[in-house]
Amino acid sequence: MAGKDCIAIACDLRLGMQSVGVSSNFEKIFEYDSVYLGLTGLATDVITLSEEFRMKHNMYKMREERRMEPDTFANLVSSSLYEKRFGPYFVGPIVAGLNSKTGKPFICGFDLIGAIDFAKDFIVAGTATDQLYGMCESLWEPDLEPEDLFETISQALLNAQDRDALSGWGAVVYIITKDKVVKRLLKTRQD
Amino acid sequence: MAGGAADCQFWETWLNTQCRLHELRNKERISVAAASKILANLTYSYKGAGLSMGTMICGYTKREGPAIFYVDSDGERLQGDLFCVGSGQTFAYGVLDKNYKWELTVEEALDLGKRSILAATHRDAYSGGSVNLYHVTEQGWVYHGNYDVGTELWDAKDREQSFNHIVTSIPS
Amino acid sequence: MDILIGITTKDSVLIATSKSVARGVSVIKTNDDKTRELTDHSLLAFSGESGDTTNFAEYIQANIRLYGTRNGFEMSNKAIASFTRNELASALRSRKPYQVNILIGGYDVKKKKATLNWIDYLAANVELPYAAHGYAQYYVLSLLDRHHDPNMTQEQGLELLKDCIKELRLRMPIDFKGVQVKVVDEAGVRKLPEDF
Repeated sequence: MAGKDCIAIACDLRLGMQSVGVSSNFEKIFEYDSVYLGLTGLATDVITLSEEFRMKHNMYKMREERRMEPDTFANLVSSSLYEKRFGPYFVGPIVAGLNSKTGKPFICGFDLIGAIDFAKDFIVAGTATDQLYGMCESLWEPDLEPEDLFETISQALLNAQDRDALSGWGAVVYIITKDKVVKRLLKTRQD
Repeated sequence: MAGGAADCQFWETWLNTQCRLHELRNKERISVAAASKILANLTYSYKGAGLSMGTMICGYTKREGPAIFYVDSDGERLQGDLFCVGSGQTFAYGVLDKNYKWELTVEEALDLGKRSILAATHRDAYSGGSVNLYHVTEQGWVYHGNYDVGTELWDAKDREQSFNHIVTSIPS
Repeated sequence: MDILIGITTKDSVLIATSKSVARGVSVIKTNDDKTRELTDHSLLAFSGESGDTTNFAEYIQANIRLYGTRNGFEMSNKAIASFTRNELASALRSRKPYQVNILIGGYDVKKKKATLNWIDYLAANVELPYAAHGYAQYYVLSLLDRHHDPNMTQEQGLELLKDCIKELRLRMPIDFKGVQVKVVDEAGVRKLPEDF
């Protein structure tokens, strides 16, 4: 979610095999310096891709001797996914970050083979997309301050995941501003 | 009841009518065995048509004492003193079998029943929401309330120091 | 379906694996060992497609051992789990994937900490205080949710494991011919007697 000179990204913590919950500490958000990647979908691909991006991000940093911008990272994600066009990773990624030059929020989402969906407001992914769209469409408004953005994204995620059987089991929210990143664990229903 | 919501809802209200008719015709409450047999005969007559129900008919009569009958949409009907039904049944059995004994007091039994359902709502994605508790006696049933899993599980976790795979704080 | 259960206690990991091997209508072995020792303080338990299981386990075992002799020190449990996951994950998108579910129990002698990693055949890897694979999950996870305590002693852990086996004997529709229990702790990996 984008706010006024800030962004927020949040995920649930469940990892399950069909009906049975296995882990309630499976984070789906990964940090690449100041770029944040959310990865939903097949758990094995979430791990594989998060590690692949960690490697590619580090390689970029060493070669270029500078940090990667969010839009650059988004294109990296896109091309990495399209590379597997005919045997794709089963994921729904989202990228969020603040551009280090302009300070402008950047958020975008992808389909599993790398089509980018740029957005000004919010991006959703996962098994609760229908519910998340409903929540975000009604709660989100432009230019939210960090505290209000936290409340908005938290309520959107919480109420959406409670209406989805396969999501939940805890939640994590990141609020990202120019000079501070706050990570909070939400106390959620555990059913 | 567990399974198809419409199937369960419809056939159990239907069963209720059948039991009431029995009462009017015979000037006597129906036995648990007979009530469950009506439902089992019904589900058996529909076998193969796609009904989906897993039910427990619980009652207490002078003749039978406390009785539980398991009836499902295959037409199966079983008497026993411990059953769990539904997608979360195995999780409920896990807690129930460990802590169940015949000599349980009413309060202990209500707590154990609630705790078993709680265990199932936690692990099974398709179970959850709230727990309803009933106590069935010869005088009839007593409702012992509706408990929201959202608060009940955290209470149980604090009280028992259980569910300790759930994280309550983030490192660093 | 085979049974794998892992429980961490304050100072050890307990791994129980079912002893039966069934092919078609016959039980062909009743004292099977579904585990391999990776290092002195790490144990791998496996279940799944026959043939894949032992081959994969022994391939991992050989590589972890090789790493130990080459470098003069053993791989950490986190690294072992990660390596195993990576091998499974690359096999997953190959012509013939390994269909193996895995538990890795490990004890870190320096940190004095027991760890348990749950890895399924799709190569999802998570660290958990207690875990199980196969149908056993459906019965023992709720029991472990209720009675597991991270600060429990090895003896308390074994009692809890006995409760799990008791439940499985009662509710599982097939006879799994009992379980073999191995402990990983400060002293290393040790097989426990029949009645542990």
